[in-house]
Amino acid sequence: MNTTPAALDVKGLTKRYGDGTLALDDLDLEVPNGSFFGLLGPNGAGKTTLIGAVCNLVRPTSGDISIFGNPGGSMMARRMIGIAEQEPNLDKFLTVYETLLYHGGYYGMDGDEAGERAEQMIDAFDLRAKRNVEAPKLSGGMRRRLLLARALLHRPNLVILDEPTAGVDLELRHELWSYIRVLHEQGTTILLTTHYLEEAEALCDEIALISGGQIVARDTAAGLKYTHGVETLEEVYLKTVAGGKIALAEEAARA
Amino acid sequence: MTPLPPAQVEPHPWRGLAWLSRRECHRVLKLWKQTILAPVIAALLFMVVFGLSLGNSISEINGFEYRVYIVPGLIAMAMAQAAYSNNSSTIFQARNDRYLDDILSAPMPAWHIHLGYLIGGAMRSLLIGIVLTACALPITGAPLDHPAEALLAVLLLTTAFGALGIIVGVYAESWDNQSFINNIVILPLIFLGGVFYSVSRLGTPWEQISHFNPLFYVVDAVRYGFLGSSDIDPLISLSIVAVITIALVTWSQYLFSTGHRLKP
Repeated sequence: MNTTPAALDVKGLTKRYGDGTLALDDLDLEVPNGSFFGLLGPNGAGKTTLIGAVCNLVRPTSGDISIFGNPGGSMMARRMIGIAEQEPNLDKFLTVYETLLYHGGYYGMDGDEAGERAEQMIDAFDLRAKRNVEAPKLSGGMRRRLLLARALLHRPNLVILDEPTAGVDLELRHELWSYIRVLHEQGTTILLTTHYLEEAEALCDEIALISGGQIVARDTAAGLKYTHGVETLEEVYLKTVAGGKIALAEEAARA
Repeated sequence: MTPLPPAQVEPHPWRGLAWLSRRECHRVLKLWKQTILAPVIAALLFMVVFGLSLGNSISEINGFEYRVYIVPGLIAMAMAQAAYSNNSSTIFQARNDRYLDDILSAPMPAWHIHLGYLIGGAMRSLLIGIVLTACALPITGAPLDHPAEALLAVLLLTTAFGALGIIVGVYAESWDNQSFINNIVILPLIFLGGVFYSVSRLGTPWEQISHFNPLFYVVDAVRYGFLGSSDIDPLISLSIVAVITIALVTWSQYLFSTGHRLKP
């Protein structure tokens, strides 16, 4: 029997925003330690709210979150998570090096350790030429690299990547994935949200589909296709997540 | 480059606070022309124009030449505005551009984050106070009779206005909201709090009305520290400033502790 706590264990998580929007509806999700886990769903399904709640950026209305057995929001839980958010949210007053250095500091590193690690990440993400450039002066691709470098700088156990390759060119996408794959092989748990279904299929051990703030399906890519009797993950997606909308559209087209 | 495996370490209890304070000071010094130089020049201009130019035609107040009398109030005004505007703008910007997320998701207790921002505003405010004091005392001949009381008064002042800046930065929906509070609330209250005159000269009922202005006690406490002269007992003014500071710090701490408006 495996007694290792799950990387992420979410039970009965509900989030209702002030305007009444129900973003998460009694959601349960367990992401095993060491897995490469994909979370797929349309815009507004609750992916970003779920990630925000896990990372102490959204206040859940009710429910429990546990990170490697540590209560969500606790210092240890926060230490174990690295997040690269969907929108590049970089400190406009800091250079690339300073962004990484200060991030290391916020996560409890001393100056030498944070500086050394910042230089490593600058090399790993090919940011050397932009080391002393402030974030607002970086191109979109460079900002994306810096976001990922920042998320990984403190060597988190659970890395959450919220659509990390949106708007990224093919070359950079391949570079990023090869780095993340090695990271995963070394024991880091990866939680990925993406709209690129082929990317999720190629990378993830397991995939969960989220819709209306609930997990509506969960399995390996092969398992999902088998269960729904289809050939591709796109068809699974259309049948489960977008099923209602597609059926209505088809009905309207026939009429 | 091969990535390193996950680190298995406990987060250091104090380093996050030290680095956030350093980041805030870094921002102040990086923008020094805007954050330090401009308010120092503005306050010195007030001293020169009102004190040295017009001061000769105004009689002494409480035994002090006018140019000397206005120095503590102008220093207090510059420091209060610096602490307020620094914290309101840094918090609003971090919220607006969402890089505050990097701090909120880090393993730092809410009170460390709060204190880190307060330290940034206090550093800017104290730097301005030191530069202004170093310039104003030789120019005007103003004394520094009770340095300990002056230091206590300005520490309370910077903390109170720093906390107010955080509160406004958290609630603000736009840049306009911050300048509105500064121009429509803080600046008039400071001017009406006796920066340029002694409220005891106002007569009934304006003198009594001035006592409802919390900024009057701030200016009076700082004035006592410099000149040894005040409109009311310095113990009372320092106590009232301390109560105001505690109330504002409690409010701003509440915002970080609960995540109200910082986290949806």
